[in-house]
Amino acid sequence: MLLDYDRLGWLKVVLLTFTACVAAFLLLPVVFIVLLSFGSSRWLAFPPPGWTLKWYQELFADPSWIEAALTSARIATMTAVLAVVIGLLASFALVRGQFRGREILRGLLLTPMVLPVVVFAIAIYAFFLRLGLGGTTGGFVIAHTVLALPFAIIPIATALEGFDKSIEDAAIVCGASPLQAKLRITLPWIRIGIFSAAIFSFLASWDEVVVAIFMASPTLQTLPVKIWGSLRSDLTPVIAAASSLLVGLTLALMVATALLRRKLQT
Amino acid sequence: MSVETEQSIAITRLPAGLGGLLPALTLIGLFFVVPVLALLLRSVTDPAPGLQNYAALLGDGTYARVFFNTFLVAFVVTVVTVLVAFPVAWMLAIMPPALASILFGIIILSMWTNLLTRTYAWMVLLQRTGVINRALMAIGIIDQPLPLINNLTGVTIGMVYIMLPFMILPLVGTLRAIDPMTLRAAALCGASPLAAFRRILLPLSLPGIAAGGLMVFVMSLGYFVTPALLGGTSNMMLAEMIAQMIQSLLNWGLGSAAAFILLVVTMALYALQLRLVGSKRAAGGA
Repeated sequence: MLLDYDRLGWLKVVLLTFTACVAAFLLLPVVFIVLLSFGSSRWLAFPPPGWTLKWYQELFADPSWIEAALTSARIATMTAVLAVVIGLLASFALVRGQFRGREILRGLLLTPMVLPVVVFAIAIYAFFLRLGLGGTTGGFVIAHTVLALPFAIIPIATALEGFDKSIEDAAIVCGASPLQAKLRITLPWIRIGIFSAAIFSFLASWDEVVVAIFMASPTLQTLPVKIWGSLRSDLTPVIAAASSLLVGLTLALMVATALLRRKLQT
Repeated sequence: MSVETEQSIAITRLPAGLGGLLPALTLIGLFFVVPVLALLLRSVTDPAPGLQNYAALLGDGTYARVFFNTFLVAFVVTVVTVLVAFPVAWMLAIMPPALASILFGIIILSMWTNLLTRTYAWMVLLQRTGVINRALMAIGIIDQPLPLINNLTGVTIGMVYIMLPFMILPLVGTLRAIDPMTLRAAALCGASPLAAFRRILLPLSLPGIAAGGLMVFVMSLGYFVTPALLGGTSNMMLAEMIAQMIQSLLNWGLGSAAAFILLVVTMALYALQLRLVGSKRAAGGA
């Protein structure tokens, strides 16, 4: 009946219509921003009087946009590597370790995900001011790794929980060292978890605004900080062009993830 | 006994597997726990030792308004999100796999799209001369542009948009776990669809609604970017006030105290959520 798709009757029409509206609502800003980036009106009129590529030209002619994008990519890559390595070690301990307080430690490591990011942002900002790490790449990577760690631990720990440890033990019985067994049996087995962890950590850093707003310096700013600054000063269509490229990147990441998952699973 | 052997004994005595946690605990301890504690300490020492910062925050009408507004926005956003998410999650849980994967794709795309991009899109869409106002005027529903931005309406639309995936996705899990036979049994016993919904489907999905709603509420309380860009000056939220106190007013004492209040409220609600659903699910784990 209510949970039977084929027997919902008239209710199905109502619910599906509503669902379609919500799907359109979710798609609206994404599609809109891409259309807008090709519109010729500086005042963001829609539908635009004509179509143009000039906002993309302006974007690529401005070295500060390119530099901000490269800074973001560099910081996000380093964050992803660091978060996956630290998260991998931590996940093994959390899933397999037999010690008291394991749940408390797990909770502690996941806290950065639930603490309002503005609280962490001002705390780490003050801390880095004293250490001289404010506005440095190292400072960004450390702060972003703290925020990304939960997103690395959750998929890896979930994958590890689904792994039968006796397979690893069998490898050791057959003469592999514990490290060999982990590297050659366990890691390939949980690769989807590791892969998801890398993507999520990268995105956590790439999209992070609040810490970056506090930490950015005139010489070092990430892409979100650059967009934030432009949003507060004027709503130029160049932001739409930059945003559309980000949408393209998101789509590419989604497709790559889907393809790789399919490949890894077979 | 040399220092070195003492150390190696200490390490071998660590409980099995705990060693792997050392890098993570060092990172979180040094760059999360210590800075946050230092900030909280600052709230009672800056500019002078004492509780004057808290007294100022709780005694002043302007700040009280910000607190009230923060809770109001979070509450409205949560209610709207739950109402919109429930039917979608319901359909997602039972619709044919091909259709469901398209819908999942749309939800994930919106969730993964850069936060500032989405907020920027709403800034343009909701303007006085924006697409939504023009479309409504063209159809003839309104003849004056509606004030959709720089107020509660703008924040609510933008925030519900951001929060929907966080409500829909966990709720799908809850709804899928319900045995369809319970509803068929209800029908056999003569329950009308409305009665079956009210007395079976809704109560069985209530834990998921409560957990997701609490998460949306907690996230909304501390949100900074979207309210700052879509809200007005008269309905500022707590996170923006904290940022302003630190960035433009350089008032560390007051800013830290406000941050501490936000932290306590958030953590208390998070603890409540943990009791409701258990640690793994509360943290978003599968």
